[in-house]
Amino acid sequence: MEGTSGGFRKELVGKLLQLHFKDDKTKVSRDALRLVAELLKIFVVEAAIRSVRQAQAEDLALVDVDQLEKVLPQLLLDF
Amino acid sequence: MGCEHLEGIQAKHVARCPARGRRDVRAPSCRRGDGLRTWRLKAAVHYTVGCLCEEVASDREIRFSKQTIAAISELTFRQCENFAKDLEMFARHAKRSTINTEDVKLLARRSNSLLKYITEKSEELAQFNSEQRAKKKKKLEEENQKPVEPAEAAAAKKDNSSL
Repeated sequence: MEGTSGGFRKELVGKLLQLHFKDDKTKVSRDALRLVAELLKIFVVEAAIRSVRQAQAEDLALVDVDQLEKVLPQLLLDF
Repeated sequence: MGCEHLEGIQAKHVARCPARGRRDVRAPSCRRGDGLRTWRLKAAVHYTVGCLCEEVASDREIRFSKQTIAAISELTFRQCENFAKDLEMFARHAKRSTINTEDVKLLARRSNSLLKYITEKSEELAQFNSEQRAKKKKKLEEENQKPVEPAEAAAAKKDNSSL
C-alpha cells in the first residue's frame, strides 16, 4: 500500500493535522494516520488526473491552472 | 523522500519564498505571521504533490505548469485543514480524544467509490495488524515453551530473528 509510488509520510500528515486541531488533547491513531495519508494521496492524484483529462480534451500539451479550475468544483464535491 | 527542512527541498519543486529573494517565483503562498513552521509544512506538501504530479504526467506524456502544481499543493494544504477539523469533531462526537479509522471513513463518505476504496484500505490495515499480532504471539509462545535455555543459545536465537 505505502511506497508503491509517491505518497505522504505519516509524520508530515500528523503535523499537518495537529496544526488545525482546536484541542491539544486530540491525537490520531496510527492506522487513522495511514488512512489520511492515503486519502490525501488520492486527492492529489485525482486533481492531477482530472486536470490532465481536461487538458487532453482541449488538445493541450501543458496542463495549466485553467484546466485545474474547470475540474475543481466536482473534485471538491467528491471530497 | 520529502524533507521538511528548507535545505532538503529540491529547487525544481519549490521556488524560494519571496522573503528570501527572487520575486518572480511561484512559492507556496507565505503570509507574514504564518510562521516558519507553516511554511515548512507547505513546502513539504509542495514537494510531495510535485512528485505525485510528475508521476501522473510522465505516464501520460503531458506536462504540468509550475503554477498548477503550486495550486494543487495549496489546495491540498487547505483540504488538510478541513480534514483535521472534521476528524477532531467526529472523534469528539463519539466522546473520544483519539481519532480512529472510523472517523477517517466518515470523511470519505461523499463519493461512493472513494468510500469503498478507503474501507478496503482500512480492512487491509486491520488484517495486516492482526497478522503482526499473531506472529508476535506465536513467537512468544515458542519462547515460553522451551524451558531454561543456555544463555548463548538464547542470544543466538534472538540475533537470528530479524524484524
